[in-house]
Amino acid sequence: MYISLIKIILAIPFLLALPGFFLQLAVFGMKSGKISFFEKAVLTVPFSLIAVDLIMLLLNKLNILLNGPVIIGAVLIFCAVCFAIFQFRFGKKKNKEDDAEPEKIFDFSTWQTIFILLSIVLAIFIRTAYLSDTIVPSSTDLGHHMYWSQTIINSGHLPDYGMPDFIIGEHMIFAAVNLVSGAKLMSAMPVMLLFVFNITGIFAIAILLGRIFENKKIIAVSFFVAGSLYAINAPQGRYVSGGVIGNVIGDLLIPVALYFLYRAFTEKDQIFAGLFLFSFAGLLYTHHLSSFIFIFSVAAILVLYLILNFKNIFKIVGGWLKVFLKPFPLATLLLAIFFFLFVFTPSYFNTAAVSQATGTPTKITRVGLSLSQIEGGVGSAQLFLAGAGFLLALLAIRRKELKYSVAIGWIFVLFVMTWKPALLDVNIPSDRISNYLFLPIALLSAYGLVRYFEIFSAAASRFFSAVFLFTLLFFVITNGLSDSADAFKTRNQFQQAVETFHSAEYLASTVDTNKDIILKDHVNIYADSWYKLFFMKDYKYPLSRGILTRYVDPTKTRETCTRDMISAPESDAAKECFADTGVNYVAVNSQIEGNSFEKYPDFSKVYGSDYISIFRKN
Amino acid sequence: MSSKIIIIATVVLLIASFSVLFVVEAKNHDLDYKKAWSVVYFENPRDDSLDFAVENHEGEKYEYGYKIFVGDDKVIDEKVEIEAGAKQKISPVIPSEKLEGSKVLVDVNYKNTEYKIYKNLGK
Repeated sequence: MYISLIKIILAIPFLLALPGFFLQLAVFGMKSGKISFFEKAVLTVPFSLIAVDLIMLLLNKLNILLNGPVIIGAVLIFCAVCFAIFQFRFGKKKNKEDDAEPEKIFDFSTWQTIFILLSIVLAIFIRTAYLSDTIVPSSTDLGHHMYWSQTIINSGHLPDYGMPDFIIGEHMIFAAVNLVSGAKLMSAMPVMLLFVFNITGIFAIAILLGRIFENKKIIAVSFFVAGSLYAINAPQGRYVSGGVIGNVIGDLLIPVALYFLYRAFTEKDQIFAGLFLFSFAGLLYTHHLSSFIFIFSVAAILVLYLILNFKNIFKIVGGWLKVFLKPFPLATLLLAIFFFLFVFTPSYFNTAAVSQATGTPTKITRVGLSLSQIEGGVGSAQLFLAGAGFLLALLAIRRKELKYSVAIGWIFVLFVMTWKPALLDVNIPSDRISNYLFLPIALLSAYGLVRYFEIFSAAASRFFSAVFLFTLLFFVITNGLSDSADAFKTRNQFQQAVETFHSAEYLASTVDTNKDIILKDHVNIYADSWYKLFFMKDYKYPLSRGILTRYVDPTKTRETCTRDMISAPESDAAKECFADTGVNYVAVNSQIEGNSFEKYPDFSKVYGSDYISIFRKN
Repeated sequence: MSSKIIIIATVVLLIASFSVLFVVEAKNHDLDYKKAWSVVYFENPRDDSLDFAVENHEGEKYEYGYKIFVGDDKVIDEKVEIEAGAKQKISPVIPSEKLEGSKVLVDVNYKNTEYKIYKNLGK
């Protein structure tokens, strides 16, 4: 067991630190005035993730079998190429600008360092406590995703999904860690990787804030706001545990891409422009919804900035274009286009996907959330702080400074997309969009809290300002940490999970998957989405009775066989379904459908525990 | 220097967290660790054979009673002791002429719990 742990602990930095380190070495050199150690350390993880993804895409295109030695070799070659570029660019010539001391935005005082460390300790502790009660693989989303990662591992090639729901970037890194370390997907490994991305995402928000506001106090507070407040709520601990891979990685890559875009525009630097395109390409390969949200966010920020500076609009746009029409961003753009067109085209890249995501909302789940639903989702304290930050940013606005457009435009567009999506022709589940509010809200909350401190510490009446400040902090801490109580209240369901796995293993070892068709019940069996990993026959094998509301869809006709064969197996409709689908094994919860199935003479019960019953159709 | 301390501390904390999560998962993934359940199943669900197995994941040694009914007739009534974490295979011997077209039910019980599995033969 401990050797496996050591292998994972070695494989993670090999895949999620080494490529990013060497890539930055090639781009920035060993020491650079452009970027601090802190920023480079943070960016190592997202750069490595994107680099490993691109390496695997390229290997697959070259028809090279993806296995452990190949991936290790390819990563080492990538690092060697980056090192050669570093030697070529920085080895002999001394560039005074590049050797200059980086700006000291990220050199914190002792108290700031202590505050940041305490926030990180709290953030990691709360998440670990929560995850330890859900760590045995069980979540539905993660089970679905890991099927595709296992497909990569088994076949040595990237899968053809045949559906737009899954994106390749969600699966490659898990397969890579398995192939390099041998760590099984049905272990703590996938959650550990998501945990790394989640924590790095908090750091990514910090470096973005650092460059936008250039204020160490705001950076320090951002660790508390993004890391410790609502640490369990979506899109934080709950999404890590739930395996919502696209969102978790999206919440890491969105601030990284915005960080580079902001620096490209404000510092007129082509390197940052190129790295923005690189990060955005990584986002496109990972998650369509995050990319969609990011495009809207950037559009809102830039449009707001142009409106505020309407008189200089052509000059500003011309300046932006100049930054991007330079060798490095152009080369990155061409490389990205080459990958998208000739190496691997993401499964959602088609006009149908765009038309599905835009237009008038077609379902009740897409017409927007009420204000109370939004408050419940993001948290009262966070929303209050962000509201204060928004007002303070409005009061302090200087139209020529892009940072105010970022602070105001970002939250404005995401709030409208969540609250009234029809205004922007957005046709996506509103609760999914609301999860991204976390990013601009963390930014504004940190800004608002620090500005609030500054204003009240300079107030005429120290007594009232102190009372007001403590009241606010009491509210923020009690409300913001209330969800973390869940971390210590969760009742683990490990027994149900292992009983589910045992039943799946029983079926996998006894039935003939070429002849036998299995139907399982997603409604009442815990961890059932992992069933398919025991068979690895097809994404839709075994068949599954889904959440019952999904069978009622006013927009289109849904198949109902998977429901009827479990809910009413003796009905005429179900009998027809059994004949049509060939289902001859049914796995159900013993306590619920199990009892009723025992009444039906057409079935034999071949497996029984206190949790799972398996019936064979005679 | 402060930024290096923050990064190193975070890496150390993550390694500690990973170690905890890995060990918790590995232990709890076990069929027996802090669990109490039993299971009975036919060794081969695809044919008419009656070989079955009982697995004891109750955390301690138990005596399981099992009865086999052909239709309404009890043909076997036995007991078997199974160690904690062990699996006991049982191959009942029943004359084939008794079985044809019948429902054969295996009733396994221990403490106050009973599990039933059955096959409708010849259907």
